[in-house]
Formats: sequence, C-alpha cells, structure tokens
Amino acid sequence: MSRKPSKKSRAAKWKGVIPAALLALLALVIWQFVVVAAEVPAYIVPSPTEIGGELFAEGPSLIVDLGWTMLEAVAGFLIGAGIAFVTAVVFVHVRIVERAAFPWAIVLQTIPIVAIAPLLTIWFGYTLVPKVVIAAIICFFPVLVNTTRGLRSVSSQAMELMSVLSARKASIFWRLRLPSSLPYVFAGLRVAATLSVIGSIVAEFTGADRGIGFVIVQASYRIDTRLMFAAITLSSLAGIVFFHVIGWIERASLRWPEARLHDN
Amino acid sequence: MSRPTGAAGIVLDKVGMRFGGDNPVVALEDIDLEIPAGEFLAVVGPSGCGKSTLLRLVSGLLEPTTGSISVHGKTPEQARRDVEFGFVFQDPVLFPWLRALGNVLLPGRILGSRNPTHGSRTEQLARRLLREVGLGGFEEYYPAQMSGGMQSRVALARALIYQASTLLMDEPFGALDEFTRDRLNLQLLDVWHKAQATVIFVTHSIQEAIFLADRVTVLSPRPGRIVRIAEVRFPRPRPLDLRFEPEFGSMARELRALLETDTTMGAS
Repeated sequence: MSRKPSKKSRAAKWKGVIPAALLALLALVIWQFVVVAAEVPAYIVPSPTEIGGELFAEGPSLIVDLGWTMLEAVAGFLIGAGIAFVTAVVFVHVRIVERAAFPWAIVLQTIPIVAIAPLLTIWFGYTLVPKVVIAAIICFFPVLVNTTRGLRSVSSQAMELMSVLSARKASIFWRLRLPSSLPYVFAGLRVAATLSVIGSIVAEFTGADRGIGFVIVQASYRIDTRLMFAAITLSSLAGIVFFHVIGWIERASLRWPEARLHDN
Repeated sequence: MSRPTGAAGIVLDKVGMRFGGDNPVVALEDIDLEIPAGEFLAVVGPSGCGKSTLLRLVSGLLEPTTGSISVHGKTPEQARRDVEFGFVFQDPVLFPWLRALGNVLLPGRILGSRNPTHGSRTEQLARRLLREVGLGGFEEYYPAQMSGGMQSRVALARALIYQASTLLMDEPFGALDEFTRDRLNLQLLDVWHKAQATVIFVTHSIQEAIFLADRVTVLSPRPGRIVRIAEVRFPRPRPLDLRFEPEFGSMARELRALLETDTTMGAS
C-alpha cells in the first residue's frame, strides 16, 4: 500500500561512484606508463604526476585566476538564467510574444559564441563584461527551453481544477505552474552551470589579463603544456563543483518524492 | 455557496455539444434533464458517449453549442465563478509537492476569504475529512507515497472541503480494483448523506451506478442521447450485498440490454 520515503544511505551513494573512480584511476595509470615508457617529451604530453606537481606548485596563483573565471561564470549564469526565466513566464502567458521571439532565441543559440566573443571584447575591452555576457548568452537557451516546457507541463485536468475553484491567474501561477515547472527549471540550470564556465573561458581567450582562459592562452604561447593541463584540470573541476552546487540547491528546495528529473 | 432551495437544482434544456475541427464530432444531442437539488444522479454509457462532456458543460468548463443549462437559476459560468461545484476527475490530480493535508487544504488557500470554512477551522475540517475517507494517519504523506485508491480518497476530500452544493464526479474510481472501489462507494454515500449535495456521477459500470444513485441516466454512444432515465427504488442505506439481490440483477440486466441494443443500432 504505502511506502515510506526511501532515502539512499550515504554509504550506498558513495559506493555508486566507485566504478567511475576506478576507471579514471586506470586511465591515469595507463597514461603515466605510456608517457614514461615511450619517452614522450613533457612539452607534448606531460605525465599525470608532472601535472600533479604543476598543480601543486602553481596552485595558489591558478586559484586566483580560477576565482575570476568563476566570478564571470556565476554572474553570467545568474543574469542569463534570470532573463531566461522571466522570458519563459512571458512566453507562457502571452502566446504572441513567444511566436515573435522564440525563432530569434533559436538564432541566438546557433551563433557560435566563439564568433561573438571578439566583438564584445572590442566593445567592452579587457573588462569582465564580455565574459559575463558570453556566459549569460550560453546559459540563456537551456533555461528558457526547460522553463517553458516546465510551465506548460501542467495537465489539462489540473487547469480545470483551478478553473472550478475559480482561481485567479496569479494564483494559478504561484500554486500550480511554478511548482510544476521547478524540476524542469533545475534540469536547465544544471546544464547551464557547466556551460557558463565554458563560456567565460572562451571569452577570456579573446582578450583578458586574468582568468583561467588567459592562463591557458599564455601557456600555449610558451608551449607550457604542463601549465595548460593543470589549468584545464582545475577549470573542469570547477565546472563539476558548480554543477553539484546547483544539484544540492535543487535537493534542498524540492523536497517532495520523485521531484528530480533525471534527464542529465 | 448557499444550499439550493426549490425542486429544480440543475436543468438541461435541449443541450447539444459539437466539437469543431477537421472532423467535427457531435458529442451530445438533445439532452433534456432535470436534477432536483440533493439528488444523486448517475450517468452511464459506453466510452465516447459524451459523459465527461456533460459534466464539463454543467460546470461551465465548456459551453454547449445548442440549448441551455441552468444551475440553481444561474448560468453554469456564473455558478462556476461562485464556486458551486466540486469536481472529482478521472485522475486524482493531486499536486505532488503538497502532502495529503496540503492537497485537501488547497481549495481553501485558493478561495481565501470566499471559503465558507475560512480560518482556523479549515485545518480541523481537512483532518476530519481525511479521517472520514479512511485516511487518518496519512495526513503528512506525499501523493507519490500513496496507492491509487488513497490518492482518489484525497481527491474526494479535496472536493468536499469547500462544501460545494454540487459534486461532479467523472469516473473517479474507474482505475481502482473492485474492493477499493466498493469501500470508496460506501464512503461516498456516507459523505453525500452528510453533505446533502447534488451529485452527478459518471461511470461506465452499471452496477456502480445502480448501487449509488437515485436515478440512472443511460446514454447512447456517439452522439450521446438519453436512452432511458431509470429510477432506483432500493431503500437507503444500501448494503454492499444489495448487488447480489435478484431485483438488483434484473435492473442491471435491463439497463445493459438498453446499452447493447443501442450499440448495435449505432454500428449498423
């Protein structure tokens, strides 16, 4: 008949990660052996231990650059996701706006951000602005699409129920549409979180005097592959952390069972 | 939300409903029906005969293409805006983010001061209703933690809490097993008796219709027309065993025969 809320125990959750961790470890070990055995020069492919050493040595200064990159990413994420959310709400309530604007949202999505980044750099210089804007643009689309879908995920019977209760539009939004949309919104936010880090790094490539993207470009001029790998590793870790922070906020705010969408 | 006075609660006058589109469908045709206040009316018919459409017309969710409907002297639209209807859908339509108690309290939250049970008594009433439908102790469960039958009972309690004068039920127990359905039927009769509401109960089960209702309306398949309105004279309260009495069986056979002849007529 009834089920008590089933909570995966912490230990079981960690057990689930073991296969993936083992595979990563195996890959690193093979990498180390191949590089050492074949005597690949470090400026082409450094070994994992060399990258580890670089991370340790350059850690403090890399962390500062990573901080700038994440500042841009998070700011862009908040702005892009915020605008996308509001746009989706308008779309759902005013159909004509959706018909007018949605095709252009798709066009915006198809423009390669690598192509607009230099333009923004010309306009705004080596400031944080181009990076934040690029991160915002890249976050916009997944949040827009998911939120629109979520706000529409309301069943016709639920709408009829609200109608029978003579509910006002505001009431329908706050009590029905918004909560129904939240699992979709978070699915979009999780995608946007990782994209935002990519966006800010790409923007840094085209003109910056700090940030992980700047470090990578500078290191490439000097063929400092060790530093490049260290920077890549760190930025990837930051993206994973951002992704999980969103997941943590989602779990903390959507408390009902089966609220989370597992569409990755 | 005052109790209806006078005999004629709901009156349908030559009501017809046609859905447009590329291949228009006549869902209902020439429906004349008078439902006195406080009556329990069941509507049976094969699927696709416009039973659900009938409920949506009465509650003002749809407008008929021909004819007129009056609900306690108002148009269905007015009555809907005055929150005179409690609607129980085919699916429970519970909000998954609200617990059982929260779902039952939802109408009160939406109605606010228009809610007759406004104030501190509302939660007490919600808890009492949950107990009455047999869900005492499950107030804090989420819908996903409950069985289909339990969810249907929460939906019933939610429709009852704001004391609507008219209850419209669209095959509310259709997806449930027989035992659960029996128990819910008894509980429904019990709460109907207490609430003194007018009920229109749509079902495809002739047995269920006869067991519950004062009158059973039989609809023909597309377009839905009234084939027969049968009085059910079994005294109340009715025990479940009633369904095994010979008179009950012969009435069920009679109504089934009506449906079957009409289906063959429709097919030819």
